[in-house]
Amino acid sequence: MALNQRLCGSPLHAIDRRGFLGTAVAGAAAFAADMTQLNVLQHPVLAGELKKQQKRCILLWLAGGASQLETWDPKPGAPTGGPFRAIPTSVPGIHISELMPQMAKRMKHTCIIRSLNTRNGDHGGAAQLMMRGRRDEPNLKYPDLGAVLARELGRRDSQVPDYVSFYFATEGRGMSPGTAGFLGSRYAPMEMYTSMVPENIRRLDGINDLDHKQRAELRDLLSKQFADGRASSSLGSHNEAYQRVRGLMASEKLFDAAQEPQKIRDRYGPTLFGEQVMVARRLIEAGVPFVRVGRAWWDSHGENFETHQELVPELDHVMSALLDDLQERGLLDHTLVITLSEFGRTPQINPSLGRDHFATAWSATLSGCGVKGGSVYGKTDAKGQHVVEGEIGAAQLFATIYRALGINHQKNYYVGSRPVPLTEPGTKPIKAVLA
Amino acid sequence: MRFIRLIPSLVAILCGPSLVRANELLPRNLPLEQVIDHYVEERLKEEGIEPAPPAGDANFTRRLTLDLAGRIPTLEETQTFVASAKADKRIALVERLMNAPGFVRHQATEFDTMLMSGTRGSVRGYLLEALAQNRPWDLVYRDLMLPDENDPKRKAANEFLRQRVRDLDKLTAEVSSIFFGVNISCARCHDHPLVADWKQDHFFGMKSFFSRTYESGGKLAERETGLVKFKTTKGVERQARLMFLTGKVIETDTLKESPGSDTKKGKKTNAKSTPPPAPPKFSARAELVKLSLEPGQRDFFARSIVNRIWHRFFGYGLVMPLDQMHSENAPSHPELLDWLARDLVEHQYDVRRLIRGLVLSRAYARESRWDKGEAPRAAVFAVARVRPLTPMQLAMSLRLAVTDPQTLSASLKSEEFDKRLQALESSAGGLARRFDQPGDDFQVGVSEALLFSNGSEIEKDLLADGGDRLLGRLKQLKNREVAIDLAVRTILCRPSSDSERQLLADYLKQRADRPAEALRQMIWALLTSAEFRFNY
Repeated sequence: MALNQRLCGSPLHAIDRRGFLGTAVAGAAAFAADMTQLNVLQHPVLAGELKKQQKRCILLWLAGGASQLETWDPKPGAPTGGPFRAIPTSVPGIHISELMPQMAKRMKHTCIIRSLNTRNGDHGGAAQLMMRGRRDEPNLKYPDLGAVLARELGRRDSQVPDYVSFYFATEGRGMSPGTAGFLGSRYAPMEMYTSMVPENIRRLDGINDLDHKQRAELRDLLSKQFADGRASSSLGSHNEAYQRVRGLMASEKLFDAAQEPQKIRDRYGPTLFGEQVMVARRLIEAGVPFVRVGRAWWDSHGENFETHQELVPELDHVMSALLDDLQERGLLDHTLVITLSEFGRTPQINPSLGRDHFATAWSATLSGCGVKGGSVYGKTDAKGQHVVEGEIGAAQLFATIYRALGINHQKNYYVGSRPVPLTEPGTKPIKAVLA
Repeated sequence: MRFIRLIPSLVAILCGPSLVRANELLPRNLPLEQVIDHYVEERLKEEGIEPAPPAGDANFTRRLTLDLAGRIPTLEETQTFVASAKADKRIALVERLMNAPGFVRHQATEFDTMLMSGTRGSVRGYLLEALAQNRPWDLVYRDLMLPDENDPKRKAANEFLRQRVRDLDKLTAEVSSIFFGVNISCARCHDHPLVADWKQDHFFGMKSFFSRTYESGGKLAERETGLVKFKTTKGVERQARLMFLTGKVIETDTLKESPGSDTKKGKKTNAKSTPPPAPPKFSARAELVKLSLEPGQRDFFARSIVNRIWHRFFGYGLVMPLDQMHSENAPSHPELLDWLARDLVEHQYDVRRLIRGLVLSRAYARESRWDKGEAPRAAVFAVARVRPLTPMQLAMSLRLAVTDPQTLSASLKSEEFDKRLQALESSAGGLARRFDQPGDDFQVGVSEALLFSNGSEIEKDLLADGGDRLLGRLKQLKNREVAIDLAVRTILCRPSSDSERQLLADYLKQRADRPAEALRQMIWALLTSAEFRFNY
């Protein structure tokens, strides 16, 4: 590498100083992924600066398909509108469901996208589509959003997990497991299914800390020889997995909600969803690039209005608490908060007073980093049956997300010698949504 | 020049296997391993590649035992083989392992994975029975596709259909992929953009064979009539025919909508008391089975199973990926695939025979180390591949590795030996569920590393002390070096190197105040080393 030739040998000069300060503001994401030479976190000023510039993402995954008509794109008065009204928000001209009064007060951070048409109304297939931004090919399994961001925004020698996913409910769990696809288990999520303490993160009592560390070093040394002359990425992943163990063990505290002052815990509220979103904030604050918090089960084929009457206010409360919290800590400019489901729900109300799966005209929101808050993109018709303006699919949504986080959505990964761009060639991010 | 010699193979590759006529293949009466080596080495010569040397005896024993018996070899199995001076010892080892009961158990696990991964069911019970009799593969296929619910032996095979009967698209796609090596699921929505072979007609043609199958009162049933309709990308509605992947159509007058089926009546029937619905006079599924095994139609079936079994033993198929066997994706060795498929068909689809031939070849027995820079691509089989152990192989091998080798000595009668192995296998089942089934390009996740580093079940199960444990035996040995060598030989199935002994001796010496603990940690480091985790 050309940089190495300019080195005077001091690790502090392992990268051009002006370049660092220049790029730190503009594109710390690309920079962070290459920072293998200099352990920046050892240098307090640089560490602080870097931590602030690093982009992160929290995905509030509304599993089962939240109804756009009871959240972000209400149609009161239409035959398909249902009983809830729409309320004005802090941004003139934007109305959302009356079930979200707190978010209505804070619309300035959020961009609502009302024009998703994703053509897949099956839980499993749609969850895969909306988590990856594309469909898997028979012989190519794509990484999902978390895995891509773990790779793009994470650090190689990360002392914290790169991708954490909370999904405590049993409904729909098997339908959208996190996956790193062809990027490999290195970027697979730390899946939290039942406990707030990651599994196997604590050293057992029977071994002291020094032995634990040296036992691992012994393992590394014994394994090194075997890899000689045997090039295999499977083999490499084995050693990489073991090398991250100690660092991950140290990050256990981040998952402990009790570490937060009660005042903050109260803001998020007493629900599991609230607690997990608060922990998500702790994680991204410590440098975890991506956290998904799944809230199930929005699949209201029956009793749609009761279900949403229960779930939407919680979302409203927790999301507001999160945005306020991020803003107070100066993190909102560098954190993208997404609300997303696998699809929306039909305008048509069925005989069980429910709404069914509907991928033809539904909504998602983006708040914070890189997006134009206080705006709406796209429009649906009076009954909410079709998109009439700004129709987009999963690909454009993902291109927009990547761009908002400072990532080139046409960047190529390589599978063997095949270039695989992050989004399909020709996909354009939504300029109107980006700040 | 080399290039000119390549032209005939290039032509064969570009034109696809259909142009290679049977009379161009090597004669029928040759041993499989000879044919395999002929074609593989012919290609290596054409490309000027010198293959890796044969794997050493210890390495070969480990690889073969893992592939045939699903476990690492015992200390004495390795030592006996290495020490033997018999010229035919490799053949003898293959035969011993294939005749041992462990062979059937392991193959049942592997075929069960092939048939049922992605579902929540298993047909392993059925497979144990079938493989013990070396049931021909076409009859196994028939048992799975047309399960006889009245025959107690064959009934268990019905899980294959039952796990998929609620999603007929999935059933169609998976039967095509597993038995015919073809993934046509994209053709559900549109003609395949790249592969002329697969149009919507093909997907819905295949689906037509399955669309009449349903479940009623817990029993599988099939209607006599049925009609699948679909819309083309241009919005034109079409009716599907019973069409196989080759394009061959079964003409029938049963292509009509079926009258309201019993399932829609909403009656809750007691599954045990109602007899299975009578089989229809015309069974679309039976027609598929019959058609797919006919001469001229059975190439898909034969080639797919040959390719899948080859893939399991070599870590890389003759066609890759396994479900992309179409004209745009030629096999790496077209004549070899054709020859092996023909051999299989002409020997009553005898998979044992195929397996035996694969493991006796030189191609299978190569070293996995390549010291001359970048290794050649996998498709030339110049060097053995490193393959992650399957969950059951790993769990079983872990249990074996921590067992005192004296309890598994060669002096045991073979029934007693097998009984002990079975005991280890049944206790390995729970541990196996903690590991992921590896696919191609498997990446070990950090959760596995955390499991081994901090998981209490690993601590309790594998690192415990006890009379029949390796740890117990090591504790009794006064000589540190002897203990170290025994540990390495038991766990890694090979002698220790000087540098390893030095490294481990230093580690133990530093912990002279807690020798048992130190031994436990040494065992841990060997069990979690990369070498243990893989078949190489």
